[in-house]
Amino acid sequence: MALTITCPICGRRNGYEFRFGGEDKGARPDEEGLSPEDWCDYTHNNTCIAGIQKEWWYHRDGCGSWFTIHRNTITNLEAEATA
Amino acid sequence: MFRKSERLWGKAPLMSDYDAVIIGGGLHGLATAYYLARNHGMKNIAVIEKRHIGFGGAGRNTAIVRANQRTKENLSLYKEGLELWPKLTAELDYNLMFYNCGNLNLAHSEAALSAMRMQVASARFFGIESHIADPKECKELVPALNISEDITYPIFGGMYHPPGGIVRHDAVVWGLAKGAAKLGVHIHQGTEVLGINVEKGKITSVETDQGTISTPRVLNAAGGYSASLSYKMLGIHLPVSVLTIQAMVTQPLKPLLDHVVSSGAYHCYANQTLKGEIATGAHMDPWPNYTTQTTAHYIKHQAEALSEFLPCLRGVRFMRIWGGLADMTPDMAPIMDGNDPIEGYYTDCGWGYFGFKSAAVTGKYMAQFMADGECPDMLRPFTLRRFEQHRLMGEMAGTVVYSPWN
Ligand SMILES: Cc1cc2nc3c(=O)[nH]c(=O)nc-3n(C[C@H](O)[C@H](O)[C@H](O)COP(=O)(O)OP(=O)(O)OC[C@H]3O[C@@H](n4cnc5c(N)ncnc54)[C@H](O)[C@@H]3O)c2cc1C
Ligand SMILES: [Zn+2]
Repeated sequence: MALTITCPICGRRNGYEFRFGGEDKGARPDEEGLSPEDWCDYTHNNTCIAGIQKEWWYHRDGCGSWFTIHRNTITNLEAEATA
Repeated sequence: MFRKSERLWGKAPLMSDYDAVIIGGGLHGLATAYYLARNHGMKNIAVIEKRHIGFGGAGRNTAIVRANQRTKENLSLYKEGLELWPKLTAELDYNLMFYNCGNLNLAHSEAALSAMRMQVASARFFGIESHIADPKECKELVPALNISEDITYPIFGGMYHPPGGIVRHDAVVWGLAKGAAKLGVHIHQGTEVLGINVEKGKITSVETDQGTISTPRVLNAAGGYSASLSYKMLGIHLPVSVLTIQAMVTQPLKPLLDHVVSSGAYHCYANQTLKGEIATGAHMDPWPNYTTQTTAHYIKHQAEALSEFLPCLRGVRFMRIWGGLADMTPDMAPIMDGNDPIEGYYTDCGWGYFGFKSAAVTGKYMAQFMADGECPDMLRPFTLRRFEQHRLMGEMAGTVVYSPWN
């Protein structure tokens, strides 16, 4: 199945128009008192879920929006948010 | 003339107790099991494979071997790895079909050539044969090469590494399985690891769909699934992105390509197999997924790239295409670690699309690590902690960056 991504502005488009922006890891941690371990966790580490994950995308060849979606990494299909 | 065919390895019962359990019947898992038995006298070992051995990257790769990486930590490991193939062929009494045809890596700009000069100097420092070739020498090596200026990325020269080449990947899987089983290793196919149990900071057992196995040592060698497994079973996050990488072969042709040719700018590499097919590997879809799906996008991409720098391939048909998983790290170097933070838990992953060439040598050192509990010097730089210590390795600059970021 070819990948399609739904941009909040442009709607559902070919996946190759977008750039993957990483797993959603929440807000950037506060630098005050931040340990190297926590910084590494935020910058490098991933959960690598085989299933549905929340992730960032950037509509590079489109409107330039950054947004999050849920996608099933086993099928490449966009999915409803899971609890 | 015809011998009765014999099984390369037998089927063993699943015991409730092993001295080491290896998750994943890929190259790294089988090699580690083999060396644990061969070099360290550990015979009570299980390799647990959820599908069949060679199901993962081990049976899907394009079989290229070389030792012209960029950093000193990687060069010495890969050098030993490359030198191991002929020895292993003899030792396993199994033809691994090592064909040291040499690798020619093309440069399409002055900048790329400069980067190669540094890579060549580093390789030579370790006694690895590698030199810069001008376009004329590239053409002599590969007469089919288009060195005219009339292509998207004209060829400025290349880096030629004569001792590299290809090894038959399935033969390595079967040879290692045969060798390991002969030394008493149990290979359990169709068995999935579902959980890893830890008590007071030590590994105690592994849960499988066929029952619980007590063991003091576990190796995570689950290839593309290793990072997800690590987090799901032990809560340990790894700096890995899992991408699908595709490869394909053309119809068989008369011999025309005597070397492995690769090009970063074209995101394409190719070699001619002993059967005559041109095997070619593509770039990766830059978003994490476990699909192993193949796409028309890359068939078109490979056709365009190949017909530019090897124009005699225009009109040749692709016969087969397949995909596999690549577990990529931010510095394009693997993660090999153990006993941290859990005693008895070892990891060997992050091999991306370059873990075939290194499998045997890595198995040797991981076995030493698991038998002694002490990390061999060769593996120390590959610790997981390098990421939090900001000591990423410089292999990123050594190849095309196949991360989700480009
Ligand atoms: C298309 C392609 C081309 C490549 N080309 C090259 C190349 O030219 N040169 C090179 O050096 N490398 C190449 N590679 C990379 C190389 O194939 C991999 O790095 C290598 O196979 C990794 O070996 P492994 O043993 O770690 O993992 P794998 O061979 O992937 O083995 C992991 C095994 O673990 C099993 N497993 C997973 N989860 C579980 C579980 N829960 N329980 C039990 N078993 C489990 C899987 O079924 C699998 O068989 C390529 C890869 C691909 C996909
Ligand atoms: Zn948009």
